[in-house]
Amino acid sequence: MAVTAMYDYNWPSRSAAEFYGDAQLVHVWWKGNPFFVSAATFPFPKEMPFGALVGLCKEFFAADPDFDPASMDTARWAVDKEPLTPDMEASLVANGVGHKSLVQFEI
Amino acid sequence: MTVSPEKPARKLSMKQRYSALTHDLDWAPTYVQEEEIFPFTTFEGIKVHDWSKWEDPFRLTVEAYNKYQAEKDRRLYAVLDGFAQSQGQVGLTDARYMNAMKIFLQGIPVHEYNAHRNFSYLARYANGPGARFAALCQSMDELRHAQTEIHTLSHYNKYFDGMHHWHHWTDRVWYLSVPKSFFEDAMTAGPFEWLIAIGFSFEYLLTNLLFVPFMSGASFNGDLPTMTFGFSAQSDESRHMTLGLEAIKFMCEQDEDNVPIVQDWLDKWFWRGYRLIALVAGMMDYMHPKRVMSWKEAFELYFEEQMLNGLFKDLEYYGIKPPRHVQWAIDEKEILSHQVYWVLYQFSHAAAFSTTIPNAEDQAWLEANYPETWPVFKEVAWDKAQRVMDAGGRYFNPGLPQLCTVCQIPMGFTEPGNPLVQCQRQSVYEGERYDFCSDGCQWIFDREPTKYRQAWLPVHQIFQGNCGGPGGLPAVAEWYKLGPNDGAEYLGSNDQKNWLAWHGQTPKEA
Repeated sequence: MAVTAMYDYNWPSRSAAEFYGDAQLVHVWWKGNPFFVSAATFPFPKEMPFGALVGLCKEFFAADPDFDPASMDTARWAVDKEPLTPDMEASLVANGVGHKSLVQFEI
Repeated sequence: MTVSPEKPARKLSMKQRYSALTHDLDWAPTYVQEEEIFPFTTFEGIKVHDWSKWEDPFRLTVEAYNKYQAEKDRRLYAVLDGFAQSQGQVGLTDARYMNAMKIFLQGIPVHEYNAHRNFSYLARYANGPGARFAALCQSMDELRHAQTEIHTLSHYNKYFDGMHHWHHWTDRVWYLSVPKSFFEDAMTAGPFEWLIAIGFSFEYLLTNLLFVPFMSGASFNGDLPTMTFGFSAQSDESRHMTLGLEAIKFMCEQDEDNVPIVQDWLDKWFWRGYRLIALVAGMMDYMHPKRVMSWKEAFELYFEEQMLNGLFKDLEYYGIKPPRHVQWAIDEKEILSHQVYWVLYQFSHAAAFSTTIPNAEDQAWLEANYPETWPVFKEVAWDKAQRVMDAGGRYFNPGLPQLCTVCQIPMGFTEPGNPLVQCQRQSVYEGERYDFCSDGCQWIFDREPTKYRQAWLPVHQIFQGNCGGPGGLPAVAEWYKLGPNDGAEYLGSNDQKNWLAWHGQTPKEA
């Protein structure tokens, strides 16, 4: 639905991909663990390998005292709610991760 | 020349004076079109056939208005003086209490001022004199509220951190984008939508949830200035409620084509307002050392009983239904405050208030008031946070949160019926993804995507380098003008140390 206004109301997004250059925003969500109150947003390079994201997760989620980094190796992944078996060598983009995609895992 | 003695004019009654000084000063234009004088009241699609039907039940004149307000100000400022002279801050229940007032000071007065601005606009641009005069009074009220809130809380700034740059923080700090985006959304709508947004949804539907717990909370916690401010504003608020109710009735009575438009706005602004006052839920249950009632009780009394079972029964006559997504709000009443305070707790290192793990007394209260949800939440959140503390650390979230595009709150609200899984909603508009915390916020976006895609989301702006450049959190904190003692953990903070020193205690004894 268009905005009801006195003129043709159409303004661009303030979070558009073009503002992030070679990076893109990615939301990383540990589904089922509310110790992290929400998913976290990162500006990841588009060409970063998926495996590097997993490596960063191992450090990031260590803020949870019960976290076992090894559990990430058997995590079940999904991108934008579609289950994914990630290719760890391939880039985020090649794994289907776009700007403001939701990358979730369950362990 | 002789002048024949005339009888002095008979004194007019209040009602006649009101009429003479407001409605009788109106005139029908003869050499310009009405739309030229009032260009903003048609584009929203609201049809008005007779502006004289706008009833103003208060019938105040400017003279009477000034007299009442001056008297209220005199009383308030006398209390403020007395409180300052008697070192009233020492008599609060605890320094922790001030954290709630810090959020209030950072998040509200600027928007009282914004409300003042927009009601001034209505006082000029509404076609009918009744509506214009009511808007004029509310405009002056809102200005007075901004001023008196600032004066009321300024005394505390001498003794507590987290208050010195409230005005600057309103515009910049992440959690304060929640009220900022709410009011800017309303101000950029047309005049009728504004009346439903602020006049009706905020000032009528939700006002008691905001006002009563806050002001009673102040009273219970020894905060005499804020309590007195509350009473000083209360009679204004009842006028604002009346204006909000009159606005919705007027629109519905003028033309039945207006009803679906009003219903849509009501659906939108109920949810916007409800998400905004989620902050109040966190304050009531977690930040007040001495509590008046729980959020859940307040919601049941002031919303479910008074609004859903009272007001909406009356509005049925016009074909107005309870707000869309209201059931979601009802389902959340058991869990809302836990989630909000958990957000505040883990991000308070980047905030101008401090947080701490609920102490034993707090936990007993939470257990008694939320027997179903507190034990679940305690286990997944607070017990772990306590273990981190016991090991000499303090749990802060190491990253930046995913934000809801509409309410701008970190996406920590959970799926109905599942307190362990956050709600994730996404919409794609013109090839770009947008995230939402709930069906309510997603529905609002989908109605007007070209409005909400402009959202200035703090996290996205930080990553664009617009909040102090690429220097990470220290650069952002500097851009925010946060001092080293403004946020983070309450235990060991300057506020706590000072509080203990005022009462002759050391941290060990506390």
